[in-house]
Amino acid sequence: MRTPVAYFLLLSGILFALGTVGVLTRRNALLIFMSVELQLNAVNLSLVSFSRMHADLTGQVLAFFSMVVAAAEVVVGLAIIVALFRRRSSIDVDDARELRW
Amino acid sequence: MVASELTRLVDTAAFGPLPLLWLIPALPLAAAMLNLFAGARLGRAAGWLGTAAVGASFVISLTVVNQLMGVAAEERLYVQHLFDWIDVGSFKVGVDLRLDAISATMILVVTGIGSLIHLYSIGYMRGDPRFGRFFAYLNLFVFFMLMLVLGQNYLLLYLGWEGVGLCSYLLIGFWFDQVANVEAAKKAFITTRIGDSAMMIGLALIVLRFGTLDFDAVFGAAAGTLTGGAATAISLLLFAGAIGKSAQVPLHVWLPDAMAGPTPVSALIHAATMVTAGVYLVVRSAPLFELSPVALDVVAWVGLITVLFAGTCALAQVDIKRVLAYSTISQLGYMFLAAGMGAYHAAMFFLVAHSFYKALLFLGAGSVIHGMQGEQDMRHMGGLARRMPITALTMTLAAFSLAGFPLLAGYFAKDIVLEIANTNERWGFYVFGSVGAVFSALYIGRMLFLTFAGRTRSEAAEHAHESGPILWGPLVILAVGAAGGGLLSSNPEGLIARFLEPVVGLVPEGTAGLAEPAFVAVAVVISVVGLGVAWWVWGSGRVDWLAVRDRLEPLPRTMMAGWCVDRGYDLLVVQPGKALSRIVAFVVDAKIIDGAVNAVGTGVQRAAQAGRLLQSGFVRAYALAVFVGAVGVLTYVGLRA
Amino acid sequence: MPLDNVVFWVFAPIAVASAIGMLVMRSAVHAALFLVVNLFCIAVMYLLLDAPFLFAVQIVVYAGAIMVLFLFVIMLLGVDSPLPIRERLRVQRPLAFALAAGFVVELFVALRAGVGFATRAPDGFDLVNAPDNTQALAEVLFRDYFFPFEVTSVLLIIAAVAVMVMAQRKARAVTQAESDAAAATMATPGAEEGPA
Repeated sequence: MRTPVAYFLLLSGILFALGTVGVLTRRNALLIFMSVELQLNAVNLSLVSFSRMHADLTGQVLAFFSMVVAAAEVVVGLAIIVALFRRRSSIDVDDARELRW
Repeated sequence: MVASELTRLVDTAAFGPLPLLWLIPALPLAAAMLNLFAGARLGRAAGWLGTAAVGASFVISLTVVNQLMGVAAEERLYVQHLFDWIDVGSFKVGVDLRLDAISATMILVVTGIGSLIHLYSIGYMRGDPRFGRFFAYLNLFVFFMLMLVLGQNYLLLYLGWEGVGLCSYLLIGFWFDQVANVEAAKKAFITTRIGDSAMMIGLALIVLRFGTLDFDAVFGAAAGTLTGGAATAISLLLFAGAIGKSAQVPLHVWLPDAMAGPTPVSALIHAATMVTAGVYLVVRSAPLFELSPVALDVVAWVGLITVLFAGTCALAQVDIKRVLAYSTISQLGYMFLAAGMGAYHAAMFFLVAHSFYKALLFLGAGSVIHGMQGEQDMRHMGGLARRMPITALTMTLAAFSLAGFPLLAGYFAKDIVLEIANTNERWGFYVFGSVGAVFSALYIGRMLFLTFAGRTRSEAAEHAHESGPILWGPLVILAVGAAGGGLLSSNPEGLIARFLEPVVGLVPEGTAGLAEPAFVAVAVVISVVGLGVAWWVWGSGRVDWLAVRDRLEPLPRTMMAGWCVDRGYDLLVVQPGKALSRIVAFVVDAKIIDGAVNAVGTGVQRAAQAGRLLQSGFVRAYALAVFVGAVGVLTYVGLRA
Repeated sequence: MPLDNVVFWVFAPIAVASAIGMLVMRSAVHAALFLVVNLFCIAVMYLLLDAPFLFAVQIVVYAGAIMVLFLFVIMLLGVDSPLPIRERLRVQRPLAFALAAGFVVELFVALRAGVGFATRAPDGFDLVNAPDNTQALAEVLFRDYFFPFEVTSVLLIIAAVAVMVMAQRKARAVTQAESDAAAATMATPGAEEGPA
């Protein structure tokens, strides 16, 4: 592989930043969730890059586990969103404002 | 005049009653404790117990002094070490009792007159609901007074000093259900406190300079260690304490008000013993005062001013006890005048004589008041001589003694003081001291004749009668002393002078001034003429003294109010003090300090109110905050690396 | 020009573009589809990084299962309609953009100082991947990280159970008022009250 590792890492960082902007800016709960997925993927990319850089499979294993956990998380998170939607017929996170002063 | 060195009695004291010295203060203390805790149950016996304790102390004092007299004059010093009190580093104070000529004189006076007054009180305080408590306080007072005079160091003296102040407070305010009595007790305590604080500073200076408070150590090293300035400072500070305790101008204001206490209290504390503590202090500290002529002059002048000031006030009083109170203040002035001239023995002799006749006067006044069913205003008395003969006779003896009638104790006492002023060319002291003697004769004659002579002026006076023997018995015994005290010292080189000489030094010698016959003539004339004038104006009925008094208004009223010194203090000290207290309490404490504390609380509340708004409820805002923190931490780590 | 570079420089911009597209899309379905594109690109990156197994897993699990699940829920809930655009928290957008930009800049600086933009990956990765990536990965996974593997499986079970519990419509305890109301409207067998 001829591409410098740093480019992968930088790509990962950009994707992560974009995911963060999505988390902070969107109001649709599902879109926020998808931005979180984007973040997770960016991190997985950096894990694999490091794994390649250090010639150690641990990074890939970690990325693997990350995917599994992300899957479980998505499942549970979507179930929560569905339950919330049933309760208040809205997935706008700004409507869930009870945790305030 | 420097006191000669005394060698201590050690071996010979193993035998004989001298080791019983500690019993002299201990017995009254024990009786006081008993009466304090079991007085109610003892009933009448409490009085006898108290009297017996002081009486026993008197007997022991007699034997102890007798043994002391058995040795040569240079060896009349016995120190008994009881136990170590303070032992810190190089500063040691032990509970040591000292018996020398001065303390011997004092313990005899305190226990002797004290036991007579205790006896009198059994009759006077009969029926009082707190009878036992009274005797407990009296005994406690005697204990403290004895500690004061028997102490071998300044700390024991101060202990006794404060203790008698406490007991004075307790006894003046004995009938505490009346506010006036409580106020008087407070006034006494606070006024003497001012003097005591200065005295405390004096003690501290002594410790600083000498490293010890022991009399022998301090006096022995005084000449070598103290500069004139230091000696003056220490002496004046100690004298300030004496001014307070002995009611000299300007701290005299508590004594007239202290007459609110029972009469035996006035007799014991405010005539014979506590107020003489100041004189004792000055005489005891003579080696220090001798190093500072300035201090001695201050002492003498304060005494003289007090003599004149109080003498004028006494002339205008209408309450029989207040006349005697101001008289006490005035007579104490004479003692300080003597001490200030270096004639310590004269001061001591005056102290002894004064104790007798003043105690007698007070007890007699108590008898009069008792017979008058509580009336104390002399304008309602008169003609009591026929109705209360024993009281009248003994009081006449005492009054004449005070006025300096020839051959009575008071005559000799005053005589010596004025003679020393005369022969040492202290003309101011002599002249004004003689003026004071005129006042003394006038006011005491006035008191005597208003009370006993002439026609009765009220119903109560009509029905007055003599009290029981338990009241006039002590009067008679005291009268003997008041009259015969002159035997102790008929001239500056008399018995008492020689007794005290090893401790206080020689008498100031002088040959100037009026020759002896002229001097004696002047003194006799003063007292006889003074008493005669008093008889003419107030006793004979030929002068309408009430009308004269009215015409002279407002002068009599001002004099009666002690030349308005009390008002002056009120304006200068009390009101500003109260104003300051008000400021501190309501402004500094309530607004500033409380305000600061409350401001902290309010500030926290406001901060919380502001911080609470952070919890907007918007999850995205929380997430943003998390991200801000994360970026912040990353930046920090990145910058550090 | 090596093949690696070409592939990288083709797919990296696509990944970024699709991520941006996901962010700006109004419709949730469109955004999900853009995310799928992004996931594909990342899978290609894995391939570039000599992780073929992960390439496959990424497509199968992420793009194939997770995103399908997302789309399923979006369709189920019918929340395709866009939400009003007015932003209530005024600092939110500017600050988010600023921080993200700052983050990227920091990363750039850190990378330049740390790894360095010239560093190439070492060539000996084939040895690590012997005989092939899957087997090597399996060996590492089931030998060195066996315990985390078991724990993860437990986690999946827990997630499944949790979802089953949460997805139920539970029967609520009936209050007195409600039973009265029910009795009052007994004549009309009305539909159950709103969402549970």
